[in-house]
Amino acid sequence: MIIIKPKTEFVVTVEAELTPDLAEKDVEEIKKFKVYYGKDVVELEELFEVTKEGDDKKLVLDGDFSRVKWIGCRMSDGEIVVKGNVGANCGAYMAGGKIVIEGDADDWLGAEMKDGEIVVKGNAANLVGCAYYGEATGMSGGKITIEGNAGNYIGEKMAGGEIEIKGNAGDFIGTEMKGGAITIHGNCGFVGGDMKAGEIKIGGDFELVPTFVKQEDAWVGDVNVKGEGVVRRL
Amino acid sequence: MHHALHIKNGIVIDPKNGVKAEKMDIFVKDGKIVEESEVKGEDVKVIDASNKLVVAGGVDMHAHIAGSKINTGRTMRPEEMRVVRNIANKFRAAVGRVLLTSPAIGYEYAKMGYTSSFEAAQPPIGAMHSHEELDAIPMIDKAALPVFGNWHFVFKYVEAKDIEKLKTFIAWALERTKGFGVKVVNPGGVEAWMYGGNVTSLDDQVPGFNVTPREIITSLIKAVEELKLNHSVHIHCNRLGVPGNYETTIETIKLAGGFSNDARQVLHVTHVQFNAYAGDSWRTVSSGAEEIAKTVNSMDNVTIDMGQPIFGHATAMTGDAPFQFTLHKLTGARWSNKDSEVEGGAGIVPLVYLPKNPVHALQWAIGLELGLLIDSDKVVLTTDYPNGGPFTEYPYVMAMLMSKKMREGELEKVSPFVQKATNLPAIDTEKTLEEIIHMTRSLPARILGLPQKGHLGVGADADIAIYDLNPLEIDTSNDFEKVYKTFKTAEYTIKSGRILAKNGELVDEYWGKTYWVDATGRVDMEAIKPDIEDYFKYYSVELQNYGVEEGWLKKPERIVI
Ligand SMILES: [Zn+2]
Repeated sequence: MIIIKPKTEFVVTVEAELTPDLAEKDVEEIKKFKVYYGKDVVELEELFEVTKEGDDKKLVLDGDFSRVKWIGCRMSDGEIVVKGNVGANCGAYMAGGKIVIEGDADDWLGAEMKDGEIVVKGNAANLVGCAYYGEATGMSGGKITIEGNAGNYIGEKMAGGEIEIKGNAGDFIGTEMKGGAITIHGNCGFVGGDMKAGEIKIGGDFELVPTFVKQEDAWVGDVNVKGEGVVRRL
Repeated sequence: MHHALHIKNGIVIDPKNGVKAEKMDIFVKDGKIVEESEVKGEDVKVIDASNKLVVAGGVDMHAHIAGSKINTGRTMRPEEMRVVRNIANKFRAAVGRVLLTSPAIGYEYAKMGYTSSFEAAQPPIGAMHSHEELDAIPMIDKAALPVFGNWHFVFKYVEAKDIEKLKTFIAWALERTKGFGVKVVNPGGVEAWMYGGNVTSLDDQVPGFNVTPREIITSLIKAVEELKLNHSVHIHCNRLGVPGNYETTIETIKLAGGFSNDARQVLHVTHVQFNAYAGDSWRTVSSGAEEIAKTVNSMDNVTIDMGQPIFGHATAMTGDAPFQFTLHKLTGARWSNKDSEVEGGAGIVPLVYLPKNPVHALQWAIGLELGLLIDSDKVVLTTDYPNGGPFTEYPYVMAMLMSKKMREGELEKVSPFVQKATNLPAIDTEKTLEEIIHMTRSLPARILGLPQKGHLGVGADADIAIYDLNPLEIDTSNDFEKVYKTFKTAEYTIKSGRILAKNGELVDEYWGKTYWVDATGRVDMEAIKPDIEDYFKYYSVELQNYGVEEGWLKKPERIVI
């Protein structure tokens, strides 16, 4: 297990593709891991204290990581625990393993993720499980659970896997969705625009785009794109 | 820095000068190829090229490398911009998957041993933008071909059958845009698109004008030949991307029949693959390559380039705005339309060529058929970058044309539709290395009318590529993997006598020339002045603000006719 603590408050954002694979390396080697601090490439130890305890494939990020981007990007196994908040793109392209965020997550959580699990104890911002701009497919597998609320654009172009939000969410849920499932326990804004397939379940109030057809216990659409997506009450 | 180079013991292939894989030395001084005696007493850098292939730098005569189309493509395709090719250091930051940023274009050409590239569709009103972008491409020499086939001025003079004024207008336009030659894209069709339509044959009337595509093409050929421009009319035919269009292509090619030129073709037909479909729908579509090849081979004044699709990502971007809309409707992909006022238009649509897609496999096979069936002295290797895919895959096309065995392997991976819809599986032809060098160097240079390019004779520009391949030993039929790999990365790329890249690493940055053709001395510019002033009522810019001054270009090279 590796424990990483910020040494200072960051003036600009840090881009650090930290994955549990690091825990398999020698601590001196980990300290030399290259990260971006603004436009400069620096070694991990310039910005963080790094200590190693035992051999399990786990990273503990202890402190405020809200300005540190790309945590767990492309990780395929092992575990990351973030003791505070985390910056944008956490778990992007993730293919396996688990990330637990005890605070809040910024934009692009689990973007284009393929497998594995992300749990956020606090809130998440916008673009959870979405496709990066221009790409055809967002999240395609795995699970994202958000205990609090989430922002706008949830599961855009999502093709598989599951997103569960225990609180409320913003607008544009499941836009251009083509598979997988989104569950929102609270309220949310507009749902289902250009949805082709998949399922969205909502516990509270929501606004459905008008191009869905009411069926017995669900709405099916978006008919604008000959979609067969399902929106139903939880 | 060394002024002079001595490339020693290389095996030279130089088709223009009749050198067929001969061991010889090449001498360079002040950016030119010179006699040995010229470098005596100079500080000469010797490059040992023993058992290596030494050829002229590659010349890409048709690619889309600068201007509003490619920039719109970049804007609408952020997903193309996530491949980092170079982090800013001694060289510029360079990114791009297939759609590259301007520096990446220059760097990738240089790594591959290419030293010149021509932007093949320049909207005249966007000339300033195109030149700004060309000026941002390092390493290579370049130029742009403005589009004339839908310009209202052209319609007006063709309608009036006034070839003198048409010639004057061409000279005016090349001077104002700092253009190199006359490109024609779907003549009349883009004007019809302004009303939501297209033309369907060479004899359709262009809406609002009493002219037909046939008249536009023949008048432009006549004008260009009388002006004696370096390059001939360069045409993207009508009915591109439509099953059955090969007949229109053949009719268009035959329009060159009445003209001749001692130095070069009188008509260059571009990315013919997209205009070589038989059948009458996408269900009955098949290859029209054989018929086109017969026509081209039977004529001595027409050349073509392939427009070979490469499986993977591409971006369709042409001045053929109605075609781009059709493509968007066909694939459902994003679409952007461009309008260049009374000059024409353009469109952009992202594309992926998939080997198992019957139509894509057919296009791939047709490109190769054209490359194989047409005389090596009449067909240039292109992908119509980025329409057919990346220029960085030219080595794939080179290797395929030289190896039937490679083609057999590739044919197994593609849709079986090509087996019945094309003759590719039955073609035994294997081009020789010499023919391939001609198709990528000396032939495009001749077609463009640039005698200093594409060869290694004394007086030529010292644009040289050295590859780790011994032409006396290589078996191009069987060692296709080595051929492919070798041509991807030159051991040395030398531009104007400077070593720019070595084994795929950039070593020096160089800013190439931008050629433009000045034919104003051959015409009476006063003759069209009132017409131009009158027509500028229909432009969104004033006449005095239109065009590009030579001094604004980084390294202009004026060719005076
Ligand atoms: Zn083109």
